[in-house]
Amino acid sequence: MDTLLLARLQFAATASVHFLFVAVTLGLVTLLVGLQTAWVVTGNPRWERLTRFWGQLYVINYVLGIATGIVMEFQFGLNWSGLSRYVGNVFGAPLAIETLVAFFLESTFLGMWIFGWHRLRRGVHLALLWGVALTAYASAFWIMVANSWLQNPVGYEVRDGVAHLTDFSALLTNPALWTALGHVVSAALLTGGLLMAGISAWHLLRRTPDHDLFRTSLRIGVVTATLAISLVQGFGFAQFRPVGAVQPTKFGGTSPEAEALVAEWTARFGPGDYLPPALASVGLGFMILIGFGLGLLWLLLPLLWRDWIIRLRFPLWLLMLAVPLPFVALILGWISREVGRQPWVAYGLLPVDQAVSPISGWLMAVSLTGFTLLLGTLAVTNWVLLARHAARGAADPALGRPPAQPAADDTRPEPTFA
Amino acid sequence: MELAWYALLGLFFAGYLVLGGYDYGVGLLLARGVDPARRRAALNAVGPFFLGNEVWLVAAVGILFGAFPVLEGELLAGSYPAVLGALAGVILVTAGVQLRSRPASRSARAGWDRVIAVGSLLAALGWGTVLAGLLQGVPLHADGHVAGVAHLFTPFAAATALAVVALVAAHGATFLTLRLPAAEADRLRPLARRLIVAAVIAVATAAAVGLLSDRVRAAAQRPAIGVLLAILLVAALLVAHAALGRRRVGLAFAATATALALPVVLVGATLWPYVLVSTVDPGASLAVADAAASAPTLRLLGWLALPLLPALLGFQAMCWWIFRGRTDGRAAVYW
Repeated sequence: MDTLLLARLQFAATASVHFLFVAVTLGLVTLLVGLQTAWVVTGNPRWERLTRFWGQLYVINYVLGIATGIVMEFQFGLNWSGLSRYVGNVFGAPLAIETLVAFFLESTFLGMWIFGWHRLRRGVHLALLWGVALTAYASAFWIMVANSWLQNPVGYEVRDGVAHLTDFSALLTNPALWTALGHVVSAALLTGGLLMAGISAWHLLRRTPDHDLFRTSLRIGVVTATLAISLVQGFGFAQFRPVGAVQPTKFGGTSPEAEALVAEWTARFGPGDYLPPALASVGLGFMILIGFGLGLLWLLLPLLWRDWIIRLRFPLWLLMLAVPLPFVALILGWISREVGRQPWVAYGLLPVDQAVSPISGWLMAVSLTGFTLLLGTLAVTNWVLLARHAARGAADPALGRPPAQPAADDTRPEPTFA
Repeated sequence: MELAWYALLGLFFAGYLVLGGYDYGVGLLLARGVDPARRRAALNAVGPFFLGNEVWLVAAVGILFGAFPVLEGELLAGSYPAVLGALAGVILVTAGVQLRSRPASRSARAGWDRVIAVGSLLAALGWGTVLAGLLQGVPLHADGHVAGVAHLFTPFAAATALAVVALVAAHGATFLTLRLPAAEADRLRPLARRLIVAAVIAVATAAAVGLLSDRVRAAAQRPAIGVLLAILLVAALLVAHAALGRRRVGLAFAATATALALPVVLVGATLWPYVLVSTVDPGASLAVADAAASAPTLRLLGWLALPLLPALLGFQAMCWWIFRGRTDGRAAVYW
């Protein structure tokens, strides 16, 4: 079996599943910060109920973000040991910083936030959520620094076949970084906002209790998603020029720059196929279509006036049907970015076949099937749980439930040794 | 510089074994088939710490990648099956603990509890095998690559993996005697003491198998330190046993925590100055200094990450402080 192909498939599978969850994490935590801040500032219990309901969904979603993220981190060493051997001096730094100063703190804060209801002072409890959100953004930043370095290696020199760091600031001013970061973050806001709008729309259509609550979150979700889609489009199109300049072969088609680069690589690395598969840019086309389609969210915005968006009902249906679209677009966008740098791990520096671990094919196949099944099963289970909790409504989420109150979601109340 | 980062790597991995260790110990104890209320109480004793515990592993691997990239690639790829098992275990535990109380039905929750127990077992076996794999040397060739994975399957690796399972079980039970309400903790003390005895036997067996193994003897650069630390480990367990007998649960927990941290110190100190000792070509052994990233990278990480270290440890300490003491009726129930 072809170890390289299997390793690439595993990376694609893990990264795709990972991103479906982290986008929701990043989007929802931003909205949660707003909700809980409103609660602390106004003292209105409505905001507390919103924080608990959406917080519960956020926390369930977070589980798979961690699980897939841990696999991502280990995968570099397990399947791509050449990556750490040849470019680890440079590529490893932003990843190390991400784990230490971002993810480590994010999880520590989140644990305290979940268990800190009714125990911590409100200000401290709110500060913890702000901490979770800020470290989540820091995490996204450092991961994008690392990824952008793979797209466009900068700030290094090669000595004895190994890349050494010469200029860290070049990693932070990488042309492949900032527009992509803006694109990814606004895509996460779009995903989170649309998810909030879609779930609220479901409740409003079904006329479940808590009409007022879901009316509020519908409005927040629609406004967030609408603003975010314009940012997504803006950052998306702004990417073409800087990314195309540093990666001429990325978006398919032939340009003089791309041909010159391929000629240079052929001279340096020997003959080979240096163009990415066409598949990557086909997906990009679909992603752009979805992006334009979601731009129609602007048409829904005026309907917020006098609640026409709820009274007309069909906009609610549209919002619900639109919930999967950002997820599809996210995957297609990442496929374009990642497959577009083939056949390189680090563009123009380290080809994938030199980076893959010297592992036997069958072992890699066991890893690929095992982890894809495991993460796939967990992802589906997680979505089922998310859907059930979303449908259950805001009556009594387990998150933030007062300790003395018997658990309504237990089939029989379980004593907690009170 | 390399030594400081090596120590930091050791600190975070040892921290993970201590903190994640009681998660897994509690996870293993779920397999006892006690009633749902007790299982839920055990998980909520871990409650607020759970998310902050497993990130020590993520941080350790982050340091491994950033500060010791060559080691990262060869260690993980060279211990492929063991890391795979440990990783699957970590995933099952993290998903299991966080999701088990989301469904309301008893059978679903019991199912998740089995997932947690299996995950805990896999994680303990996997990390035990990785540590043993380091201690018995790896087939590292002159080209810098570890050849194959068959080198992992030895009696010593099996004995060490089982010893780590016994250690985390004893540690988890001791943690519960510290955290559960006093009446419940008293019921658990005899079990914790029995598990500590089992851990002593398992550790002694692994040590004996290691002493008899040619590969371990050849790989050990400082065998005396290795033996001394193994004796210390057993001594820590005996202290825990005695302390539990006198209801000094805090001391007992400190002792089992020491016992979980010592294997990391043992591996690091016994192999020093190497980190990967080659069984096929003595010249190919990888020294800590050669495994480290080049100076500019370590300097950068030093400037960016080290100043934040007090904050990292401080926020962890804040979590321990806020949720200190035994769980009671005021404790939030979420897992």
